Amino acid sequence: MTDAAITFAGFGLAHRRAGREETLLHGVDLALPTHGFYAFVGASGGGKSSVLRLLAGLVEPREPAPRVAGDLVVLGHSFAADFPPALRRDVAAILQDEGLLDERSPRANVELALRLADRSPLLAAGLLAQVGLEHAPDETARLSGGMRKRLAVARALASSPRLLLCDEPTAGLDPAGARTIAALLRQAHDQDLQRTTLVVTHDLPAFAGKLDGVLVLDRARRTLRLEGPAYEPNAADTATAPGEGPVRASEALHGLRTLLLQAAGFGESLLEAVRRLPPFDLGEAARATWRACVEPAPFVALGGGVLGGLATFFALQNNPLHGGMESALLTGTGKVALAVLVPLLAGFFFCARVVAGATARLGAMKRSNQIAALQTMGARPADLLLTPMVWAMAIGMPVVTFAACVAASFAAMAAAAAASGTTAGGFVHAWLAALTGRDAVVVVGKAALSGLLVAVASWHLGVGPKRSSADVGAAVDRAIVAAMAIVLAVHAIATFAEYA
Amino acid sequence: MHRLRYLLGLLTLLGAVLGALWLQRTLRNLDERPGVPLQVEFREARGLRPGALVRHRGVDVGAVRSVALSPDGDKAVVQVLLDPAATSNACVGSAFWIVTPRFGGLADGLSGLDTLVRDAYVAFATPSPRGTPLPPGSLIAGRERPPADAEAESLEPVRHGDLLMTLLVPENHGLRPGSPVVHRGVATGDVRSVALATDGSHVEVALRIAREYRATVTDKAVFWIARPQLSGALLSGFTVQDAASLLSPFVGYHAEPGVGVLVPDGHRAAAAASRPDFDLAPVPASVVKGAPTAAKAATAADGIVVVRVVYAATERDTFTPDDDIRRAGNGLLYVDRTGRAVVITARSLVDGSYTESDGYGAPEIADEQIKVVLPGGGVLRAGRVWVDSDDSDLAALVLDGAPPDLVGTAPDRLAFAVDLVAPQAPGVVRLVGPDGAPLAPIPVGGTTPQPEALGGVFVGDGKARSVVVADDRAAVTDGAASLVNFVLLQRVPAELRPQGL
Repeated sequence: MTDAAITFAGFGLAHRRAGREETLLHGVDLALPTHGFYAFVGASGGGKSSVLRLLAGLVEPREPAPRVAGDLVVLGHSFAADFPPALRRDVAAILQDEGLLDERSPRANVELALRLADRSPLLAAGLLAQVGLEHAPDETARLSGGMRKRLAVARALASSPRLLLCDEPTAGLDPAGARTIAALLRQAHDQDLQRTTLVVTHDLPAFAGKLDGVLVLDRARRTLRLEGPAYEPNAADTATAPGEGPVRASEALHGLRTLLLQAAGFGESLLEAVRRLPPFDLGEAARATWRACVEPAPFVALGGGVLGGLATFFALQNNPLHGGMESALLTGTGKVALAVLVPLLAGFFFCARVVAGATARLGAMKRSNQIAALQTMGARPADLLLTPMVWAMAIGMPVVTFAACVAASFAAMAAAAAASGTTAGGFVHAWLAALTGRDAVVVVGKAALSGLLVAVASWHLGVGPKRSSADVGAAVDRAIVAAMAIVLAVHAIATFAEYA
Repeated sequence: MHRLRYLLGLLTLLGAVLGALWLQRTLRNLDERPGVPLQVEFREARGLRPGALVRHRGVDVGAVRSVALSPDGDKAVVQVLLDPAATSNACVGSAFWIVTPRFGGLADGLSGLDTLVRDAYVAFATPSPRGTPLPPGSLIAGRERPPADAEAESLEPVRHGDLLMTLLVPENHGLRPGSPVVHRGVATGDVRSVALATDGSHVEVALRIAREYRATVTDKAVFWIARPQLSGALLSGFTVQDAASLLSPFVGYHAEPGVGVLVPDGHRAAAAASRPDFDLAPVPASVVKGAPTAAKAATAADGIVVVRVVYAATERDTFTPDDDIRRAGNGLLYVDRTGRAVVITARSLVDGSYTESDGYGAPEIADEQIKVVLPGGGVLRAGRVWVDSDDSDLAALVLDGAPPDLVGTAPDRLAFAVDLVAPQAPGVVRLVGPDGAPLAPIPVGGTTPQPEALGGVFVGDGKARSVVVADDRAAVTDGAASLVNFVLLQRVPAELRPQGL
């Protein structure tokens, strides 16, 4: 067993698509010896990336999983059902788009990977020096393409993996840059006698002289075979498949599967939101909460002020008793404004302001493989991304609602003074007369609960499958609608149950 | 590969369905709160709307669910839902009516004014005695106007010592229960009820005069029903009298100070047809100077103070209804060595456990109350501090909250020593009326039971010597005793006597 890093035994792989199944591999029997540095070539769309994602444990949880037949053994762990958690430490992946966390500095990216691998963050400097990034800029977003690849290599090495998977590490680089990266990978490979490296690439010349073997995906025969280092691609290997596989699954079944997985995703998001509530990164949670409280506050307070002022002004101006019972009108307006209308409006504004941003950010992270990269580093993305969001929204929503209520009260005071000359003291007395501590509890409860649910919805839609930028936009649209629906439902149900 | 996730998805969907079902049930239950639904029929819904309140004694106890026409179209059927806690108050015989602003003319005045600024509501009254609770779904015929006794219920309760009397008037000029009774412009009491006499010849108006104003009503007081009245002549100008009666008619009365005697409960007086002409005397100069008035002058001239003693209690019986014990009699009032106001009286008057008997053992006496009416009409609570253990039917009370200037029997008018003057010797028994005013002394003798003679004080040779006790303590009724049974004051222990006696 120790002489094979990856063993395929009667292995088959099929994509599940709506209405049909597309067989990619069939009856593969192959063993990749340990400590080899292999290139993985084959026609585009033949399933290289699928195999790689399978090996890296990055199967998309919200879509029907590929059908797997036979056995796949990686570093002694069989893939009978799901990715074995014990493998997480031993397998690292450098994905297309690198999946670097642009919000953190290059050094922080490596430090996070070290921390997740339970290694000292002090090793970051050495890793960066090894890939030639000791003098890199502080902002990851400003790194050049080659530097991003190098940073990705440094980060992948942080966990000292026994199996290093790379997906097109030389894509988008000029031949010199490609050779540099190839040399860097070979060098990293040679550091550890236990390490096996598998590189998906279309650029065999860049790796010339560095390979121990080439894994070829034979699209026509739907199989894999191992060639020597001097392998040259031929036409037969890059030919497209002669036809689709047999129709195995009905469209309805596929739809049901997708629905169940979507529901599972939502249920899992809810569970995660509660189970991951203790912040993994307290500073990040506090910063996110502070931002969610402060950033939308002026905007939401303005809305609350306009609503409170207008409602009060017209209530007094259209007084059916023509100058009598002003205080009673103010009491009624105050109750309905502060207990019902302003909190609802604040919830809507908060969604528009915060949920859209959070979902767009998550969607972009998903699209650029940042979330997958976190997974390959052994992190739970929920820890790093969902928990701060839950805190931020569950606390930010009540805080912003309070700000809106205060603004509404001041605006109403001004409106009452303008409409019927109410004094400040008289206004406060009448405005707050019907409000009780219970109202405050209900308002805070409504805001906190809708904040929590909105965070979950935003997370759920943000980290869903993203194949294109359009998917990201659609997710943002859906997140805003869903969040507003949640706010509306929570407020309607709570208000009805409490006051009806 | 995703088998577990499919299960999780199934569970999530299941949870969502269960949540939706729960929510639907919760929202439906909001509509079906617990309570007793009732239907009340009115000829006219008077602006009642769904959601209007149902109130009992001014407390919200339910809501109107719907207002609809009856199938035949000649009634308005109001569906109400009573809170579970209030269901025992709505019982067979309860009257339901709708409260809206209502001007009943001069006879009834204004009512329901609070509904000018709030919605009409349904009120109901609990009959006394309480009937069986209405079963859910009962159909009740509502009243078009509030029942009269519902207004009587809102009257001030009668306190012990208040004067209850009847005024006979030729015609009720809009008096209602609650109309004030006014003396010198001060409300001293109220009208309790207005009823036509059984023979229809006049109207009987029951009045209550608060006990602190009891002394203002004498047998010489003149009563009238106040109506606005214009008097005067062209040259002298006009005067409108009793203008306040424009809003609500009231009973006025006037008594010259120092004229007439105080009246007991149950006094009957006829009202003048109109306000009699009287001139109010100027405020007496002595009052202006602040000199004390002769409030204590009611004590008899001989210095012996006899007071009215009223006893009330309940004897609890296991198998039969509880018996109320109500007795009134007399007692001898003096101030003892420690300054306490002591009343010596017959034990059979003030101790239910002494007179009552129960076939199953000692009688259970509850809610005992002893009140003492002072000569001036004031009423004080008293406590029983001593009974003669020798079974001689004597008891001592101490007044609660006696005023410091209370005048009791002068010590030299009390004979505690072994008495050589027998009760049969010449002397009189002193008794007082219900208002605490002395009655005419009665000569000793005669075995016919005298009503409310218990505790009467035997005065011989100018001194109080003994008190009248029961002939047979088990047969005491209404404080009756014949004036031949006495117990000497000698039995009163020394610590309850005045200093030096």
